[in-house]
Amino acid sequence: MRLSVLSQLPKVSEFPADVFRLENGLTVIHQYISATPVAVVDVWVRAGAIREPNEWSGMAHFLEHMIFKGTDQVLPGVFDQIVENRGGVTNAATSHDYAHFFITTAVPYLADTLPYLAELLLNASIPADEFSRERDVVLEEIRQAQDNPDWLGFQALMESVYECHPYGRPVLGTEMHLLNHSPEEMRSFHSCHYQPENMTVVIVGGVDRESALDMVEQSFQQFATRSDCRQLATKIATPLREIRRQELCLPSIKQARLMMAWAGPGVEELRSGYGLDLISALLGDGRSSRLVKQLREEEQLVSNVSSSFSLQQESSLFTISAWLEPQYLQIVEGLICSSLAELHSSPMSEAELKRSKRLLCNDYAFSTESPGQLAGLYGYYNTIAEAEIAVTYPQQIQGFQALDLQQLAQQYLSPERYAVTILKPND
Amino acid sequence: MQDYVNQSIKRTVLKNGIVVIAVENPAADIIATRIFLRAGSRCELKSQAGVAHLLAAVLTKGTSKLSSSEIADRVESLGAGLGADAAADYFLVSMKTVSADFPEMLELAGQLLRMPTFPEAEVELERRMALQAIRSQQEQPFTIAFEQLRQAMYQNHPYSMSGLGTEATVSNLTRTDLQEYHHSYFRPDNIVISVVGRIAPEDALAQIEQVLGDWEAPTTPLPTLNLPTIIPFPHPTVTRQQTQQSIVMLGYLGASVGSPDYMALKLLNTYLGNGLSSRLFVELREKRGLAYEVSAFYPTRLDRSQFAVYLGTAPENTAIALEGLRSEVDRLCKIPLEPEEFQAAKNKLLGQYALGKQTNAQIAQVFAWYEILGLGIEFDTIFPEAITAVTAEAAMDVACRYFVEPYVSLVGPGYAVDGLVEQGSQN
Repeated sequence: MRLSVLSQLPKVSEFPADVFRLENGLTVIHQYISATPVAVVDVWVRAGAIREPNEWSGMAHFLEHMIFKGTDQVLPGVFDQIVENRGGVTNAATSHDYAHFFITTAVPYLADTLPYLAELLLNASIPADEFSRERDVVLEEIRQAQDNPDWLGFQALMESVYECHPYGRPVLGTEMHLLNHSPEEMRSFHSCHYQPENMTVVIVGGVDRESALDMVEQSFQQFATRSDCRQLATKIATPLREIRRQELCLPSIKQARLMMAWAGPGVEELRSGYGLDLISALLGDGRSSRLVKQLREEEQLVSNVSSSFSLQQESSLFTISAWLEPQYLQIVEGLICSSLAELHSSPMSEAELKRSKRLLCNDYAFSTESPGQLAGLYGYYNTIAEAEIAVTYPQQIQGFQALDLQQLAQQYLSPERYAVTILKPND
Repeated sequence: MQDYVNQSIKRTVLKNGIVVIAVENPAADIIATRIFLRAGSRCELKSQAGVAHLLAAVLTKGTSKLSSSEIADRVESLGAGLGADAAADYFLVSMKTVSADFPEMLELAGQLLRMPTFPEAEVELERRMALQAIRSQQEQPFTIAFEQLRQAMYQNHPYSMSGLGTEATVSNLTRTDLQEYHHSYFRPDNIVISVVGRIAPEDALAQIEQVLGDWEAPTTPLPTLNLPTIIPFPHPTVTRQQTQQSIVMLGYLGASVGSPDYMALKLLNTYLGNGLSSRLFVELREKRGLAYEVSAFYPTRLDRSQFAVYLGTAPENTAIALEGLRSEVDRLCKIPLEPEEFQAAKNKLLGQYALGKQTNAQIAQVFAWYEILGLGIEFDTIFPEAITAVTAEAAMDVACRYFVEPYVSLVGPGYAVDGLVEQGSQN
């Protein structure tokens, strides 16, 4: 997959960071920014929920919590104190494609804190007593999510789009699965995936290259003894050949939701993904976008409508969501399908194309300002493809013609084949 | 960030009273602009609660030169961002642009400030949307807990309500109400504008002068506010709802930003609830597994603010969570903080304060906000000095004076929340 990405996309020479591969296989990305007193280290691991065998659902995210529970050398809570007592911030996140862990701090303190982060990531001890206590915390996280109607709707929609593919199940896992996990299984998951060839360490900010490389080389040495990885079941979602419809009644909601989704290409067809990103902007980004203009501003059938494209490694996701009164559900779904049919039958105008390109390219500029934003961007791309590709985004976007987008809409955004989840307030 | 900001920040007062703050940051080809007005929901009559929010929604929907869709086209064809928001203590228009588009967007912002038309149809549309948003606030347990807490604490004061207003007040708002509010508060001697990005301060100033320099300040004084005195009357509020988690929230009337107690309360709030090493996080989450989200907030306000701690927990843990939160707050006036933990709280607060000024938008926000609150841009240096000077004894004294009896707010299933507090419950 990585080769096909390379051959498809021209790399631009002005990638502003340096990429190194250490002898042990670890990737290090560094960018020096002179004007900032801030330094960020962001460690990305190919150990998201797609690496979980079915019966281990929720393991990747639970492990992200347990990483902070210390090692034989570092007691639980010590790392948090060391970072925060120096005025820094640390946190982590897990998705289907990745888990990542970061520290943002004043430059002089990176050297004090980074070795502790490396120690936690490489040598997590996953103590049994902390394991059972932290499981209660994750169960609270699940309860909190379940009190959020939009989360419930989104999970139902994902299950419908991706079926038995891991993208179809919640990253948080379920209570039943979590109660069955053991510390031994988690250690095995850890020692399988938290290995140098699966990790990218990104350092961006007011730290020079030599210091950054020295810090990483010294800290990221002793990885856990490898364990055999559990075999993953084949995980192919059945392509959408029909309208997969489901309705949920939720007593707590005051307004209905209409959520529609299409599965897009994986990262091996990144260019198509970027085209869908443009279509998403055309349909739902801003008051002059097609759906907002028609459904909210003119016909006033919805209180909100939005469109979104999410790049994912194996299959990207295109969604259109509306918040509305239940009596308009059917008519709005029909109008959205008509809007897609129009994309199939005629190319968008030059003005619309220009507007969508400019929106996305400016958004890119607005979201690559701080060291943390840049570190996240490079780490994410290096986890699902290659870091250098990250900065080709504006150039790729500029390259599209209206006809390319018409063809992509025909290929991926069918008004007859999609998943739809409807949330209704109880009558 | 800090270094170049302090070197290059330029504050100027135009003849008509507009305060302009400009900071040049050549790092990226973008400019962030914030236009603050001394207004917000604090200036609303109780019978017109929600008027500032509605005005914000309609402000961008018509000027004497441009229709709603023409405004949207103009902003979005540039790929720029433009937003209007009403907060408790101020009204805000924000813009983000690439540098070349700044003049055109500034001209548009000038029209919005000086000649909005509030078209009748747009007022009606946005009024319906605001009513919908008010109802939707009831969808999330946290929001319910927070709303009932502030109603209990603030009675007839505008801080008692979310900026949206109530169904009763918003139903009665008219175009005339918007025009009157606009007429009262949108005047040059009531405005602070900050511009941060790739633009020389003198250029920013000259362009603002050109667009807004001929706007004359009225000779009439600004309306005087007669806000009701907030009378302390701690009492519990309870909402029964079939949720997965109970929300437990304890609030105390705090101090305004102008109070000598403000700095100590900020520190105590950081100590209790900010970050992974905070007292509540360690005691209630890490050691007892009671919650995923456990935190504290103490917003900076012109009038008496609120100091609150909260968590979400499994319904069967509601009582012990309430007891846990209460005893952690009570402890602050019983046991003096150890010198190391007190210093750690200072380091954390000041470190994160510095990290909060990384992007152009963050810098523009902070300085103009200080100016509009009447603190002046020098508050950026006063704040760290004053925090550093707070002693543990002074903090304990403040804790004893403020944390006497909490306003308790509970949301959760009846079996979990009934009988925990002595008060008739709602629903």
